Amino acid sequence: MTLQTSAIEPSVPRAIIGVVVDNALVLALVTVFAIFSFATPTFLTIANLQSILVNNFTLLAIAAIAMTFAVSVGGIDLSVGTAIDFASFAFVSLVLAGQPVVVAALAGLGAGAAVGAFNAVLISGIGISPFLATLGTLFIGRSIQQLLTNGGNPVYLPPSGVPEAFRFLGRGAIGGIPVPLIIAAIIIVAATVILTRARFGRVALAIGIQPSVVRYSGIAARAHVAVAFILAGLIAAVAGLILSATVTVYIPSSGSAFLLNAIGATFIGTTLSRLGRPNIPGTVLGVLLLGIVANGLLLTGLNFYWQQVGTGLLIFAVLALSFITRRKA
Amino acid sequence: MSVDIQLAPVIHFEPGVSTPKPSRSGNLAAGALRAGSLVAFVAILLVFSLTAPYFLSVGNIGNVLGQSAISGVLAIGLTIVLIAGGSNVVTGGIDLSLAANMGLSAAVYATAAQLGYGDATAVAAALLTGLLIGAVNAIAVVGAGIVPLLATLAVMNIVAGLELVLTQNTVIPASTPLLTALSSSGPLSIPALAYVLLVFTLIAAAIVQYTPAGLRLYAVGEFPDAARAAGLPVRRLVAGAFIASGLCGGFAGILSVSNLSGSTTGSGEMLLPVVVTALLGSVFSRRLVPTVIGTLLSTLFVGFLVNGFQLLNISSVLVSGVQGLLILLVVSATTLLRRQEA
Amino acid sequence: MSATSPDETGDAIHLDGIVKRFDGALALNRASLRVRRGTVHGLVGQNGAGKSTLIKLLAGLHQPDEGRIEIDGQAYDKLTPHRVEELGIHFIHQDRLLVPTFTVGEALFLGREPRIAGTPFLDRRLMQRRASEILDDYFGVKLPSSALISELSTAEKQIVQITRALLDQPKVLVFDEPTAALVRREADILFRLIRRLRDEGVTVIYISHYLNEIEELCDTVTVLRNGEDVATLPFGETSAAAIARLMVARDIADLYPKRSVTPGKDILTLDRLSAHGKYQDISLTLRRGEVLGLTGLLGSGAKELIRTLFGLESATSGQITIDGKPARSVNPAQAVDRHLALVPEDRRGNGVALDLSVTENITLSSLKRFTRLGFLDFTSERREADDLIRRLEIKTSGRNALVRTLSGGNQQKVAIAKWLSRHSEIYLLDEPTVGVDIGSKVEIYNLIGDLAARGAGIIVLSSDLQELIGITDRILVLFRGSIIREFASSQTSLDDVLAASTGSIEVLRHVG
Repeated sequence: MTLQTSAIEPSVPRAIIGVVVDNALVLALVTVFAIFSFATPTFLTIANLQSILVNNFTLLAIAAIAMTFAVSVGGIDLSVGTAIDFASFAFVSLVLAGQPVVVAALAGLGAGAAVGAFNAVLISGIGISPFLATLGTLFIGRSIQQLLTNGGNPVYLPPSGVPEAFRFLGRGAIGGIPVPLIIAAIIIVAATVILTRARFGRVALAIGIQPSVVRYSGIAARAHVAVAFILAGLIAAVAGLILSATVTVYIPSSGSAFLLNAIGATFIGTTLSRLGRPNIPGTVLGVLLLGIVANGLLLTGLNFYWQQVGTGLLIFAVLALSFITRRKA
Repeated sequence: MSVDIQLAPVIHFEPGVSTPKPSRSGNLAAGALRAGSLVAFVAILLVFSLTAPYFLSVGNIGNVLGQSAISGVLAIGLTIVLIAGGSNVVTGGIDLSLAANMGLSAAVYATAAQLGYGDATAVAAALLTGLLIGAVNAIAVVGAGIVPLLATLAVMNIVAGLELVLTQNTVIPASTPLLTALSSSGPLSIPALAYVLLVFTLIAAAIVQYTPAGLRLYAVGEFPDAARAAGLPVRRLVAGAFIASGLCGGFAGILSVSNLSGSTTGSGEMLLPVVVTALLGSVFSRRLVPTVIGTLLSTLFVGFLVNGFQLLNISSVLVSGVQGLLILLVVSATTLLRRQEA
Repeated sequence: MSATSPDETGDAIHLDGIVKRFDGALALNRASLRVRRGTVHGLVGQNGAGKSTLIKLLAGLHQPDEGRIEIDGQAYDKLTPHRVEELGIHFIHQDRLLVPTFTVGEALFLGREPRIAGTPFLDRRLMQRRASEILDDYFGVKLPSSALISELSTAEKQIVQITRALLDQPKVLVFDEPTAALVRREADILFRLIRRLRDEGVTVIYISHYLNEIEELCDTVTVLRNGEDVATLPFGETSAAAIARLMVARDIADLYPKRSVTPGKDILTLDRLSAHGKYQDISLTLRRGEVLGLTGLLGSGAKELIRTLFGLESATSGQITIDGKPARSVNPAQAVDRHLALVPEDRRGNGVALDLSVTENITLSSLKRFTRLGFLDFTSERREADDLIRRLEIKTSGRNALVRTLSGGNQQKVAIAKWLSRHSEIYLLDEPTVGVDIGSKVEIYNLIGDLAARGAGIIVLSSDLQELIGITDRILVLFRGSIIREFASSQTSLDDVLAASTGSIEVLRHVG
């Protein structure tokens, strides 16, 4: 028997807690932003803010959005890095082999989607839990990359052999705005629309919240889960293309560097949102929070290694505060 | 050396009380899975020993044991958290800070040794480091109520950062009597680390599989409501599991210093392989639950795989692929069997 | 009858004039329960009569708003679960709280594990030996000591659960529907045990829907109705049929909406539908505008039949025809496309998504109607939700409120609204009013009548016979997988059904 709390007028402190809980992420971001603006003279400059977006935001934002799709159906994708790597490998190898950049890019997207499809078969087809399925994919993917690269040798594009379109993708700009940032913005908008306005997004979130009800409502839940994981692979592949176009090299298993931060940003965005649902704006704010902290700590002149401690402490504090206030509210 | 693993066949009930027992076939299936895994384990050993004559020599087995010591200790630490947290890795038990914990503990030990402190102090400092990290995890999970996956992820970042701060991302060489002893060979010219792993496993198994506290950990992880109904202090037990796991991280740190004659960076690389090893371990138990001995077997399985590939000159890059395939095979088999039952 | 005369013994438990309100709704209205030491005391009442609230008060899980609690003649202001256990009162719950991967011995001794003398280690051998001894002694059951809980039958798990309580040498044992999942032979073992415990001086409180069991087992019975104890009778002076009448509040019968039946064309036909081991040769016809009642005990196949219609289980042979077309669905999606709707019994698990809003729940299965080129049309979705909230009088703070915040009755209305939005035509309602307050019940009955009047075909599966008689046109009784009786609801009464079914004790067992 569940007891419903009677509707009493919320007292003032309680109302404040409510506001804090509802806007925790924005408040955290504003606080951190303000602290660094005062603490360092260089933080609040156009050049620096731009550098945050280019260096600390773009790739992680895309990877975290991929993660958010997996999390939206109640799963997790430990193989986002694998999709990034496969896309990057296909892209760089085909460009190196003299294929047109467009063909190579499409092949890269296909490779990422294939990783997602493999996960989809394991999760929707066989019924393995997403954590274990994507963990398996991550490990198999690692071996495949080693095999493809003779034990882990990077695939370089010789400076002379980098096509213009390739370079444009990584380093180009349109109207002064870096191309990777434009692509990230497009993905953010598209993903937000899909998750909030498309039927697919509604069903995906419902599956993440209570899968049995979705099934009892006559909806093919498994198919939606499969699509979510394929989408995750595809989006991660975009990050793979941008990554390799920026550094003009493919390094095996380098994509896994994004994994833990992508999980962190996604879950920060999820747990700190009002309804506790996975959501793209939350994920993006989570990525921004991580990026600003990393950049800000760098500018404070703090020892490079302390920055990681600071980032960790900050995330820890945000999580602890949000879980504790949520429990009180 | 079966611990909870009782090899007694499944005896049938006396007539008298008899309704259909739906899980009988499931139990058979579980048995088949477990037998299959053991057969696969033995078969792989057999193939290696036939193709590489040196493989089954005492010396080589000792080597494998010694090389598996560090990952074994970590995997056993994680096993304790898996037992107390339940099988759902996202909401249940997981400790992502274990590998970073090992790195920091190693750095603490090496730094202490370099500063001229004796072994006793250095060991105490390393273990205390591990213990503290475990305590922070425990407070975050039990006290603040953060999901273990996120809590230990954040702690992992902090700990990895602290390791960098302490070591300035360099190797800290260390040489102490303890390290010399650990890196030497024991009886039968088997590495001392091999003995350390065996003794550590025995102690951990004795505690986890043979004491009331261990039994209660299983109850807490698998069916918290039942544990609560039996009056168990659920929160305290979960906290204890994270602290124990932290201690294992500290201990593994000391071992890693001996193995590399100093503390090195890059401990984070060990995290996911250790997770896979610990998850695979449950295949080796009769009840398909994580056990200390099961985790040891799974660690050795991976160890022998790496070793055999080396002896056969097969690229060891296949190891992670084989691990990944294994976990998918095992989990698919269990999932499909369970579905057939339903 | 008890070996000791009741006059010589005092009260083991005396709850007096207990009042308990939830959210202003009265769950217990000056209810009393007086249990003599060393007797088996039955507690009966329909769903919602207040049995579980009373038991939770005794367990220290709820505190009474008014009234006295006396245990062994001692008054207590406040009971806590811990205090209750100290007093030697133990509860055997319906859901068996046993760890599936434990051996019988481990499950029995969890929390008070014996150690090998002088060591910190578990004495597994002692645990298993003691377990075998107790099980053999009390139940005549030989369980292999290495058997896992997950390998046991439901009855065996129940036995282990009871044995756990016996290890504490309880003074009072409370059984909550212990036989719900047992077959007769297993129930007999349980009854023998309960009598033996009573003879050993243990006081037993026995809660059951099955009146024949109460009659067979109990020395005294207390009947609860609408939160009051309407009678406490020694069993020498009463009978199962008399108790069944006491349980039923006659005046509620007026709350069932009267409606005239004008059945239309056949909408759903089953022809010798069979599923191996579940039900066989089920043939029935449902017509538009008709409300068909279905009832049967656990294991009768009624639930499985409903699940098959909705594509959640499969039949092995036979035909399902909808609107003249063959229509065996392999999954719920197909069933829903054939205009079938299921309102499942597990409302909070399968019926509504608690953490989705009212709107999101209502349109979940009809999202296609609110989709243009893959995108949601929020305006028309909102309009639909507002419309259904108004039509069904769903009480909510707004269409965006989470369904979690609604009362049980309003959650159920949301579960039904979902199918109205889908324009479903065949409604399968599985225990539609369980856990629903009386006001919402009437609204749901009216809603069922409206649906029928609009030409839908409705099947109501319910264990509340009075409800079935009140709201259906026909009632089919399933037993062991077959339809054994058909009643025309208007030409029968609860007494008729009870009388007609005295031949089959199984039907009587199911009252309430």
